[in-house]
Amino acid sequence: MTQTLTSDAVETLSADLGEPGWLAERRLQAFDLFEKLELPDPKGEEWRYTDVRRFDFSGFDAPVPTQSAPEVTADLADKGVIIADYQTAANDHPDLLKEHFFTDVPTDEHKFTALHGAFLSDGIIVYVPGGIEIAVPYEVFRDLAGGGSTFPHTTIVVGDNAKVTFVDRFRSESHERPSLCASVVEVTAGRGATVNYISLQEWGRNVHHFQTQRFTGHRDSTVRSLAVQLGSKFARAQVESVLTGEGSFSEMLGLYFADSDQHFAQRTLQSHAVPNTTSDLLYKGALKEVSRSEYSGLIKVAKGAQGTDAYQANRNIVLSEKAVARSIPQLEIEANEVRCTHGATVSPVEEEHIFYLMSRGIDRVTAQKLVVFGFFGDVLDRIRVPELREELARAIAKKVEGGQSLEVAS
Amino acid sequence: MADQLLHIEDLHVTVEGREILKGVDLTVDKGQIHAIMGPNGSGKSTLAYVLTGRPGYEVTGGKVIYRGTDILRLAPDERAKEGIFLAFQYPTEVPGVSVVNFLRTAYNAVHPENQKSAMQFRMYLQEKIDLLEIPSELVDRYVNQGFSGGEKKRNEILQMAVLQPELAIMDETDSGLDIDALKHVSAGVNKLATDEVGIVLITHYQRLLNYIRPTEVHVLIAGKVAKSGGFELAEQLEAEGYAGIAKELGLSEEELAEVEGSEVSV
Ligand SMILES: Nc1ncnc2c1ncn2[C@@H]1O[C@H](COP(=O)(O)OP(=O)(O)O)[C@@H](O)[C@H]1O
Ligand SMILES: [Mg+2]
Repeated sequence: MTQTLTSDAVETLSADLGEPGWLAERRLQAFDLFEKLELPDPKGEEWRYTDVRRFDFSGFDAPVPTQSAPEVTADLADKGVIIADYQTAANDHPDLLKEHFFTDVPTDEHKFTALHGAFLSDGIIVYVPGGIEIAVPYEVFRDLAGGGSTFPHTTIVVGDNAKVTFVDRFRSESHERPSLCASVVEVTAGRGATVNYISLQEWGRNVHHFQTQRFTGHRDSTVRSLAVQLGSKFARAQVESVLTGEGSFSEMLGLYFADSDQHFAQRTLQSHAVPNTTSDLLYKGALKEVSRSEYSGLIKVAKGAQGTDAYQANRNIVLSEKAVARSIPQLEIEANEVRCTHGATVSPVEEEHIFYLMSRGIDRVTAQKLVVFGFFGDVLDRIRVPELREELARAIAKKVEGGQSLEVAS
Repeated sequence: MADQLLHIEDLHVTVEGREILKGVDLTVDKGQIHAIMGPNGSGKSTLAYVLTGRPGYEVTGGKVIYRGTDILRLAPDERAKEGIFLAFQYPTEVPGVSVVNFLRTAYNAVHPENQKSAMQFRMYLQEKIDLLEIPSELVDRYVNQGFSGGEKKRNEILQMAVLQPELAIMDETDSGLDIDALKHVSAGVNKLATDEVGIVLITHYQRLLNYIRPTEVHVLIAGKVAKSGGFELAEQLEAEGYAGIAKELGLSEEELAEVEGSEVSV
C-alpha cells in the first residue's frame, strides 16, 4: 500500500534508506515544520504574483527514491572529486552533507522547502576540490510517476579556481493523476571558481513543480544559471544569485515556453552584498493558447556595495490573444555608485512580421517559428552546451507547431 | 493570351470601411514592364497589397486572374508559391531572423522540387549577390534590422533574384534612394526583367523610369486607372504634374481635391 505525504511515510522512507539517526530526526523536524507552516501568502513580495494558498498536498503518493548520481572517472575520483547520491553521502561523507545540505536553502524557508526537507528523495551532492576543472558536463535525470511525488536536491560545491557544469533534467511522461515535485538547488562557487548550472523542466502535463535555486558566489567567481521551463501544469522557479565576494559575476538566463493552460511563475533575485560585483539576467518567454506566466525579479544592492553593475531583462512574446504574461521588475538599492538597468516587455507576435515572411512563400506556422526563434536567439546563443542549444531549438519548434502530446500514459 | 500573366478587372477594395480602389483594370503579359504612377494616397500600395493577400484589404468587387486562375482566395504564401512577389515600399524588420535563414526557408518553400541544403543555398545566394553587386555581409544580418533605406531596397531585389518570381510588383522601390543607390537598384531589376517575367513598377516619380524603361504606363488617380499609354505618358506627367492630367480628364471636384492636396513635384 503506497502511503501519502504523512509523518509515517517520512519514517518509512528514512528506514528504507537505512539512514543514520540524525538524518531521520531532521526529516521529522522538517515534517513538523511543514505541518505548522501556512502556505506562502501572496501579501509577501516573493509570492505576490502567484497565489498558491489553495494548494492541496493530500493526494500525492510518498516519493520512491532513486539513485541517479553520475559516475566520476577514476582519475577525477583520485583528485578528490565526489559525486554521490544522498544515501551514499550520508554514509561515506557525512561531514560534507552536514556542511552543505540545507545551508543555503533552509527547510524553514516556506512550506514547500519544509516538505522537501521531510521527503528529500533524490539528493545529489557534487564536490569539486580547488583547482580541478571538469570540461564535460554532468547530467542527471529526474523522473516522476503519475500521482507520485519527488523531492530532488542538488548541492554543488566548487572549490577555489575549480570549474564544473551540471545539467539537471526534470522529465516525465504525461500522466492522468497529478504529481508533485519540490526541488532545492544549492550552489557554492569558491574563489575564482566557475559553475554552470542548467535546469531543464520538461515534466509531463499534470505535474506541479516548485523549485528554489540559490547560488553563492565568492570572490572573483563566475556563476551561470539557465532555468528552462517547458513542461508541467504549474511550475514555479525561484532563482537567486547571492554575490558575497568582490569581483564575482553571475549570469542568469531563463527560457520558458508555455502552451495550453500551463502556468509558469518565476521569481529571481540578484543580490549584491559586497562592492564590485556584476550580474546579468535575461529571462525570455513565449506563451500561446491560454497559458500564463509571471516574472518578478529583484535587484538588491546592499549598503556599501559600491561599483555594483546589475542588468535585468525579461522579455515575453505572446502568440495568442488569450495568453497572459506579467512582468514585474523591482529594485532595492542602498549604495550610490552603482549601475542598475532593468527592462520588461510583453509583446504579441507582429502580424506585420508574419505577413512579410508569408509574402515570400513561407507558411504561417513556419513564419511563426522563425519569429519565435528570432526572439529566443540571444538566449540560445548564450547557452554554452551546443547540443543543448539544438535540443532547445527543437523543443521550441515543437511548441510552436503544437500537436504537443497531451496524451496520457497509463 | 498564352503570355497573359495577370488580369485585373473592375477591382474594388475597401480598407477599414473606406473604398480605396474603385474599379481598377489592368492586364500584364510576360516580358512587359508596367509603370503605375499616381499621387500619394491614390491606392498604389493598396493594389500591391491586395495582389499579395495582405490581411485587412477587403475585395468588394471585381476579379484578379493570375495565370488563368482566381487567386483572391489564396493565402499570401500560396500566392508567393505561384510566383507572385512584392518588393515592399517599407520592408519589414524581423528581429533575430537572419536574411540567409529566411531566404533559404522561403526558397525551399517556393521551389519544393529543387530543395537546397544550407551549403548549396549559400552558393546559390552568392551568385545572386555577385549578380546584383550587393554587399555580402548583408545576408548574415537580421532581416532589414538596422539597414539603411538603400540596403532595405537592395535586399528586396535580392529576394526577388533568389525566389525568381514570374510576377514582380515593385512598390516605390526608388523612393528614398540617392542617385547611386537608384542606379544600383535599377540595374538589378533590369537584370531580372527577362521575357518570362512580368513587372509592375509602382512609382510616384518619373525619374525611375529613366533607368527602367516601362513598356506601358498607367496613371492611378483616386482608386482608378485614369489614363494608360506608353512612355510618352510618363513624360507628360513630368511636364504637367498629376493636376494637369486630372484636368484633362475632367475628374470630379472630389477626385481633383485629392490630387491637388498631394505632392505633385517630380
Ligand atoms: N492599412 C490601412 N489602414 C488604413 N488606411 C489605409 C491603409 N492602407 C491604405 N490606406 C488608405 O488608403 C489610401 C491609399 O493608400 P495607399 O494605397 O497607400 O496609396 P499610395 O500607395 O498610392 O500612396 C490612403 O488614403 C490611405 O490612408
Ligand atoms: Mg504607397
